Amino acid sequence: MNLAAPDLAASAACWNCQAPVRGEHFCPACGKVQPLPPRTDYFSLLGLPPRLALDSADLEQRFLQLSWKLHPDNFVCASEFEQNISLERSARLNDAYRTLRDPVRRVEYVLALAGMRKEGQTKQQAPPELLEEVFELNEALDELRAARRTGGDARASADLRARLEGAQKHFEEKLREVDEQLAAAAREWDALLVAQGDAAAQRRIMERMNEILNRRSYVRNLLANVQSELAEA
Amino acid sequence: MGKTVGIDLGTTYSLIAYMDPETRRPKCLPGPYGEALCPSVVSVDPDGSILVGEPARRRLLTQPERTIYSVKRLMGRGVEDVQEELRLFPFRIDPDSQHVIRVRLGERVFTPAEVSSFILRELKSWAAEFFGEEATRAVITVPAYFNDAQRQATKDAGRLAGLEVLRLVNEPTAAALAYGLHEQQRGLVAVYDFGGGTFDISILQLVSTSEGDIYRVLSTSGDTHLGGDDMDNLLLDMAREDIRQEFRLDLDALPETLQELRKALIRAKHELSAADAATVKLPLPDGGFYVRVVTRHEFEERIRPILLRTMGPVKQALADAGLKPEQMDEVVLVGGSTRIPLVRRMVEEYFGRRPHCELNPDEVVALGAAVQADILEGGVKNMLLLDVTPLSLGIETMGGVVAKIILRNSPIPASAQELYTTGVDNQTGIDIHVLQGERELARDCRSLARFQLRVPPLPAGMARVEVKFMIDANGILQVSARDLHTGEQRSVEVQPSYGLAQEEIERMLEESIAFAEQDFAQRQLIEARNEAESILHHTAKSLAREEAAELTAEERARTDQAVAGLREAMAGTDYKLIRARIDELNQATMRLAELLMNRALEVSLRGKRLEEV
Repeated sequence: MNLAAPDLAASAACWNCQAPVRGEHFCPACGKVQPLPPRTDYFSLLGLPPRLALDSADLEQRFLQLSWKLHPDNFVCASEFEQNISLERSARLNDAYRTLRDPVRRVEYVLALAGMRKEGQTKQQAPPELLEEVFELNEALDELRAARRTGGDARASADLRARLEGAQKHFEEKLREVDEQLAAAAREWDALLVAQGDAAAQRRIMERMNEILNRRSYVRNLLANVQSELAEA
Repeated sequence: MGKTVGIDLGTTYSLIAYMDPETRRPKCLPGPYGEALCPSVVSVDPDGSILVGEPARRRLLTQPERTIYSVKRLMGRGVEDVQEELRLFPFRIDPDSQHVIRVRLGERVFTPAEVSSFILRELKSWAAEFFGEEATRAVITVPAYFNDAQRQATKDAGRLAGLEVLRLVNEPTAAALAYGLHEQQRGLVAVYDFGGGTFDISILQLVSTSEGDIYRVLSTSGDTHLGGDDMDNLLLDMAREDIRQEFRLDLDALPETLQELRKALIRAKHELSAADAATVKLPLPDGGFYVRVVTRHEFEERIRPILLRTMGPVKQALADAGLKPEQMDEVVLVGGSTRIPLVRRMVEEYFGRRPHCELNPDEVVALGAAVQADILEGGVKNMLLLDVTPLSLGIETMGGVVAKIILRNSPIPASAQELYTTGVDNQTGIDIHVLQGERELARDCRSLARFQLRVPPLPAGMARVEVKFMIDANGILQVSARDLHTGEQRSVEVQPSYGLAQEEIERMLEESIAFAEQDFAQRQLIEARNEAESILHHTAKSLAREEAAELTAEERARTDQAVAGLREAMAGTDYKLIRARIDELNQATMRLAELLMNRALEVSLRGKRLEEV
């Protein structure tokens, strides 16, 4: 799959006036809304190049403008056929906006398009440098839970709270770090697409992004656990 | 082609509104009593005729077993969902109820959608009266936090009432539309909608673009079982306990007195929004007299836990939108329960700003529905509403775990595709269970539907079917499937877990058409009887006057005969016959009327000089 060029659907004829259409939302000749070609990707739907760097204000503008035109509200008096197309297109538009506005989901989506990752995948991979810290933290948590069961120990509890807060801070830093790595990889990917880099190079970066995403899931999960422990403590 | 209207189908009251073409402002329509509020109460007569609104509400006291209120609480729910309600509401659930509740009213049994359709029909008749033309299309509002089954039931009710439901709109969103049109608001708006039976909170962003204004919902949350009803029940529990202690009387065995008490308590609740204390007085059947003073302080302390329950969803909605309370530019109050001063204080404190309540909180949702109806008809062109789904949609996977495929607060319409294949050779069906909710396990979420995908017998893993789940602009789920080998579309027969099957709706639709005729006849009969009553009264009075002595014996006999004839017709149910006999009586009393008229003229002319006449 060549992601350097938008994956526009093969040309077809307008259902109403038979004029040629190439994946446009509306027929350029008669203005009728056109069925969504299967597998239209989110980038081309919004008229964007498949880049990971994305201006969020521009994305929002495009989303709102297309919403004006495609929303089912505009087709209440149209034929059922057109109503269905509008439903289909605006649902896809909403899905696209929801996915692309989030930098992490954007990467996940590009990897899913390339068949490198299943959408919604939540595989976790522990960053090796965190393993020891996580191990110690879990032990401390177990001790504290045991202490809590046998009757409260105020000092141990204050101790743990401080520890959890320290861990929370550290994992937050780690998450920022992983996000930066992801952003750097994303920039590399975009540069490679502009330079029309070879398939092997594309694949290497995608593998790296995939691995960063797995680490990110792990760190995020860790952070969520610490936060819920803190809420309980 | 009929009128298009906006309808707020509320727990306690329902309203109908339209866009005034002159002023370009939405307006509520008045009912026969001049009030815009139609009590959401339905009563069924022994002869099968159906009363809705004020007359039905009066029956709550005299015929509670034939009358139902707050039916919205039962929409789209199963029997096991409403056990708590049954403790406090005099609903009689039919023992045959399965996936849809059936309520017994007198001799007959109805689904909540049917009961709601009677309310919609009543509102439709208001519109017909007002416009001189039928209302055929409507936008109907639902609580933002309504799930798929509750929305579907509302849509079914519309259909059963003979309305094309153009769109279901979330109540807080509708309120924002009405306010936006009224106040030209911009920025971030929180809508706190606390009604008779439901609570909703929605966070909206109002954006101006070159095309017009976009009302974009960022997040929504709520509780479909939290409202003024709960406060009434709390007060009812209190008073019932008082009466048990003081009079050794158990009101559970006295449904009529219980309803009377309920009415008195609701009156007290309303009074407490303005006064510091209210007195509840109730004569008891054993001759006792219950008197109870409720101070505002006591009332507030009692309802505080209910009000605090609204804050959970408020925080959730803000967190989902990634916003803090102080970031809101405006806060809007909607729903009758926001008249309570403590509610206003709480909301003001939390958001740190004085909430808007310029528009009547009872009417604002219906007004917004009328605005949306006008937008859909192409009247208002520079407004667009972008709403979200309140609950995550998921499918059950291995071990009863739910895989979420559309997350809550996703803009709608929204869709998700899932790829399915077979696990064993020659498997011909794949079972799919769709759920709604935020919990991890299927048993903790709301079951929406189950269905089986038919696949051709193939070696395991060979069949490939793509199932598409679509939440439409009404927030209602549609499912379709496509065989990826052949590319052909497969039909999916979805059996809703808590809804009516298509054929049940068709059957009810047929019945409802028969009903509509009966309803019409019933209305005609009541009107004809009323008119007959008044003309008989008038005739009797006239005959008693001295002028009547001037009638000939023949004239007198004819009048008496016509009176007897009319009385006879009134005992029957043929409204046409009553009308005919009214005409006969009018004919027969023409001379009498003349005599009276002459005398009236004489009296008024007496003392005046001839040339003045």
